[in-house]
Amino acid sequence: MQRYIGWAVVALAAIVAAFVAEPYVVSQSPATSGPAALAGRQAPVFPLQDDLGRSVSLDRYRGSIVVMNLWASWCPPCRAEMPDLQQLAKANAHRGVAVVGVNEGESPQKARAFADALQIRFPIWLDSNERYGLIYAALGLPTTVIVDRRGIVMRGFDGPLTLEQMRAAVADAMRSD
Amino acid sequence: MKRFLLGAVVVGVAVAVEVLWPGHALYHYGSYNVALAALVVVVPIWGRRYAGRANGVRARTAVLAVVLGTVATGIAGVANGLFAPDDRTYVGAPGEHVRVEGLGTLVFPLASQAAALPEVALERPLRPPLQVGTRARNAGSFILRATPRSAVYVEARDAAGDRLTITQPQGAVFLSPVLLMQHQQKIEGMDLPFDSFNIPAAHRIVRAIMFTPAQAALLARAATAPGEGAVLFVVDDESDRPVPHGIALSAGGRPVSVGGLVLRGTLASYPQVDVLAAPNLIAVAIGSLLIVAGLAGTLLSQEPRTKSPNSQLGT
Repeated sequence: MQRYIGWAVVALAAIVAAFVAEPYVVSQSPATSGPAALAGRQAPVFPLQDDLGRSVSLDRYRGSIVVMNLWASWCPPCRAEMPDLQQLAKANAHRGVAVVGVNEGESPQKARAFADALQIRFPIWLDSNERYGLIYAALGLPTTVIVDRRGIVMRGFDGPLTLEQMRAAVADAMRSD
Repeated sequence: MKRFLLGAVVVGVAVAVEVLWPGHALYHYGSYNVALAALVVVVPIWGRRYAGRANGVRARTAVLAVVLGTVATGIAGVANGLFAPDDRTYVGAPGEHVRVEGLGTLVFPLASQAAALPEVALERPLRPPLQVGTRARNAGSFILRATPRSAVYVEARDAAGDRLTITQPQGAVFLSPVLLMQHQQKIEGMDLPFDSFNIPAAHRIVRAIMFTPAQAALLARAATAPGEGAVLFVVDDESDRPVPHGIALSAGGRPVSVGGLVLRGTLASYPQVDVLAAPNLIAVAIGSLLIVAGLAGTLLSQEPRTKSPNSQLGT
C-alpha cells in the first residue's frame, strides 16, 4: 500500500506540474510583424467595391495566384511601383496570375484618375475604411501580399518591390502549386 | 483528524477563490503563498498520521484522495502566486493581432459600430480559438475578459468632399481610422483622452481630443445635444505648425470644417482584454474533486459513535 501511495503522489505531482508549468515553458514561434506575419494563414476575405461601383471579393480569385497591392495616390513609392505591377499583370494573366490594386481610404474619383494617369488596367478596389490595410498588417504603403490558388497567404512585403522581386514571388507561388 | 480535514478544506477553498475572483494582489503576497505552501506540506503529514489510525482500505483511500487533492490545488495556487505574470490589459486596434506570452494571439475584431461590444478571439497553438467577451473565460492558467474602452472613429475629406487616407504612424497599426485614445491631457480640470493621426495627402497632422457626453455638456460653445460626445480636432502642418482655422469641435458625430479639411469624429466603444493570472483550472478541478470525494469518503467511513456506559445508565 505504502509503495502505491508513493507512486500515486509522484504521478499526481508530475501531472499537476505539467499543467501548472505549461504557460511558462511552452515556446511559441518568434513574433513577426507586418504583412509577412500572415504567411501560411488563410487570406482574410471580405467584400469591397471596385472603382466602378461593383461588389468584389478575393473569393472570386480562388484558383488564381493573386498579387494584391495596397496603395494610395499620395504615396510616391506606390506610384513608382504601378507600371511594374501593370507589366506583371499583363505578362502573367494567361498563367492564372491576377494583380489587384487595393486603394486605401480614398474616393473612387481619385483612385480612378490615378489609375488612368498611369494606364493601369488591372482591377482597382476601394478600401474606404482601410480594413485591408489593417487585416494585412500594413506597416506602410505600398504593401504587397501574394495569395496562392488555395487562398493562403504565401508572402507579404512591406515597401515597394522591383519587377524582378515581383516575378520571383509569383514564380515561388507557382512552384508551390 | 480535524486539523487534517480543515487544512485540506482551507487549501481547496483558498485556491478556488483565486479562480472565481481573480486579479487580487493578495494572491501574490509572499506571506499568503508561504502559508499556502506550508499547508501543502503539513496536510500530507497530518494525513499520514490519520491514515495510520484509520480502519480499513476505504478510509485510507479517502485520506489519500484528500492529500492528493490538497497537493494538486495547493501547487497550482502557489505556482500562480509566485510565478504567474502580472495581470495585464491588452489594447489592440481593429484587426490587430496582439501576441500574449504563454497564451497565444489576441485577434481584435474589425471596427464595428454595433451596440454590443464585439468579442476578441484568442488563437492558441494546437487548440480551437476562444472567443473572449464580457463574461470571464478560462484559458488554462489565465482568465480573460473583454471590457469596453473609448475609441473614436474618424473620417477625413478634402474641401471637394473626396475621402482621404488616414494613417497612424505613431499608433499600433499604420492604416486605421479608429483612434484608441491612449494618451491623456488635462484641459480646464478635465482628464481628456487624446490621440493623433496623419492625413498624408493633405500633409496634415491632426490631434483628436475626446469629450464624453458629460464633459461635452460643460463646454460653453460646444453646441452639443444632451447625451452627445464630441471630438476636438487640432490641425497642424507636417512641421507641427498650426494652420489657420485649425481648431474645431465635431459634436455628435457631425462633420466639421477645420484647417481646409472636413473631419468627423464619432465616439464608440471598443474592447480591450484583461488577462488575469489564475491557478490552472484543470489542476484545481482535479484537486477539488479529490478533496470533496476524499472528505465524503472519510466522513462516511467513520464508525458510528457508541454511547458511553454512563449515558446508557442515564447518569
